[in-house]
Amino acid sequence: MLKLIKCELWKLKRRRFVSLTLLFAFLFPIPLTYMMTTPSMASRSDTPAEAFDGVFNFVLGYGVQFLLPAILGILAAILFFMERDNDTFKSLRTIPVTSRQMIFAKITVLFLFGIFFSIASLGATLLCSAFLPHAFEITGLLYKLIMSIEMGIFITAGTLPLIILIVFFSKTYVFSVLLCIFYSVLNMSATSLFEVLPKAVTWILPGTLTTFWSAGNMVSHGIDLNIKAMTDLGLIPTTLQTTAILAGTSIISVALINIMYERRNRE
Amino acid sequence: MNDVIIETRDLTKQYGEQKSVADLNIHVRQGRIYGLLGRNGAGKTTTMKMLLNLTCPTFGEARIFGEDIRTHEKQILPRVGSLIESPGFYPNLTGTENLRIFAELRGVKKKNAIQEALELVSLPYRDKKLYSQYSLGMKQRLAIALAVMHDPELLILDEPINGLDPIGIAEVRRFIRELCDARGKTILISSHILSEIALLADDIGIIDHGVLLEEASLKELERKNSQFVHFVVSDAEQASQLLLRNFKTQNFNVENRHDLRLLDTSLPIAAINRCFIENGIEVTETHVCEDTLEDYFKKVTGGVGIA
Repeated sequence: MLKLIKCELWKLKRRRFVSLTLLFAFLFPIPLTYMMTTPSMASRSDTPAEAFDGVFNFVLGYGVQFLLPAILGILAAILFFMERDNDTFKSLRTIPVTSRQMIFAKITVLFLFGIFFSIASLGATLLCSAFLPHAFEITGLLYKLIMSIEMGIFITAGTLPLIILIVFFSKTYVFSVLLCIFYSVLNMSATSLFEVLPKAVTWILPGTLTTFWSAGNMVSHGIDLNIKAMTDLGLIPTTLQTTAILAGTSIISVALINIMYERRNRE
Repeated sequence: MNDVIIETRDLTKQYGEQKSVADLNIHVRQGRIYGLLGRNGAGKTTTMKMLLNLTCPTFGEARIFGEDIRTHEKQILPRVGSLIESPGFYPNLTGTENLRIFAELRGVKKKNAIQEALELVSLPYRDKKLYSQYSLGMKQRLAIALAVMHDPELLILDEPINGLDPIGIAEVRRFIRELCDARGKTILISSHILSEIALLADDIGIIDHGVLLEEASLKELERKNSQFVHFVVSDAEQASQLLLRNFKTQNFNVENRHDLRLLDTSLPIAAINRCFIENGIEVTETHVCEDTLEDYFKKVTGGVGIA
């Protein structure tokens, strides 16, 4: 399996989108860091450490929660369309590599990218904050690193249902991009409508679930966030609940992707 | 037969009502080149796909190295190198990088396997040219390099000379022959080009509309289609006696009262004609005829021929 993962990574060599991913990691940290230095936002933080926590929270909320599913969706389209577009499936099958092995390798690559992007976003946040030492004080770095890795894993797991659709429709990249954007907007809208939506709906939508989990987790680690309304409604899931829901989603998604990928390649 | 590497038993592939391959029984013997000859759409590629378990047969079975491919895929496929239809590689990688991926997945241990495979098909090793910039011929060569890179015992090559220039065709033909003669590889090759199969194959299977019309060695087929001299004479029986007595040959056929077919074309035709006339036999016509393989294939495919 390690060989397969290594080969999946090799296949992405010279793919511009992959190198652009690193740039995308700076897309939100730069404006959000600037935003936090504006007088109205700066006044909300009592200390530079709180200001940095605020930037980190925003970057997780927008950069990772919003942007990462879109990036993963496009990357999934690249990975899953690759064999179809280049007619390499037959060469892999005659090694023999099974569809299931291929899917596991491709999904592992997605998880690796999810983690990489989250860490890169944290790195970008650190870099931007380091330029403004008077406004920000970098604290709790280890926790933030672990949190970023967890978010990378959770968001990737939450994006797998989207990948079912990408593999099922197996259309163009443009279609995949549109699907990803729709998915991100859907999750963000559900998050903002948490007060009117049933709890089950907010927990089924992976984006909303991880937003609630990350908010609760950050508060329990001393980051000052206002989550009273969510707590009162019992919407903050534990890490175990979040892991269980996303693991269930992932297992069902991988099984469906496998069925569809096999069927598509047999056609 | 113990030396049969590929054996199909009533192999059939049906798409809806249409039979792409019907009750196919082919036998590819060890250390020989088997040419599967047929027109475009005859069922060659479908047959090869079934042999590689890329598509499931509707009926029948394909046995490779004595085992059913569907149940022993993991044991069989590592011993097989293949090229099916057009070459498929990653366009953003170089030829060497593409081969490295497949070498890694195949677990090729030999250090210079990639370099050797590329050199075999006259492609540069560690070249910076991306696959997307390759010509059709280069793509085909790379596909052949991929098929031989892991030193398989059996090669299944579907139209391997497609897209190659005449020099490339000759090179590929030479090294396919060499793989068989020097390294003892068994090769199943398909083509719609009769001359290629005739130049390369030891055994030939003719497939048309999914049906195997004939399976024989090239020598057998050539025997059936050798040159002959056709005499139209007043008495074929008497003429045959003269051939037997005066020219010491039995290599002839008396077709009917007037037609005699002399299969040994090395005999002096003018002397035979003189002998016939001197012995009172009227010679109306004398032709040197050559029933080519193509003529034969036209006959077995119902008159339309190959390609």
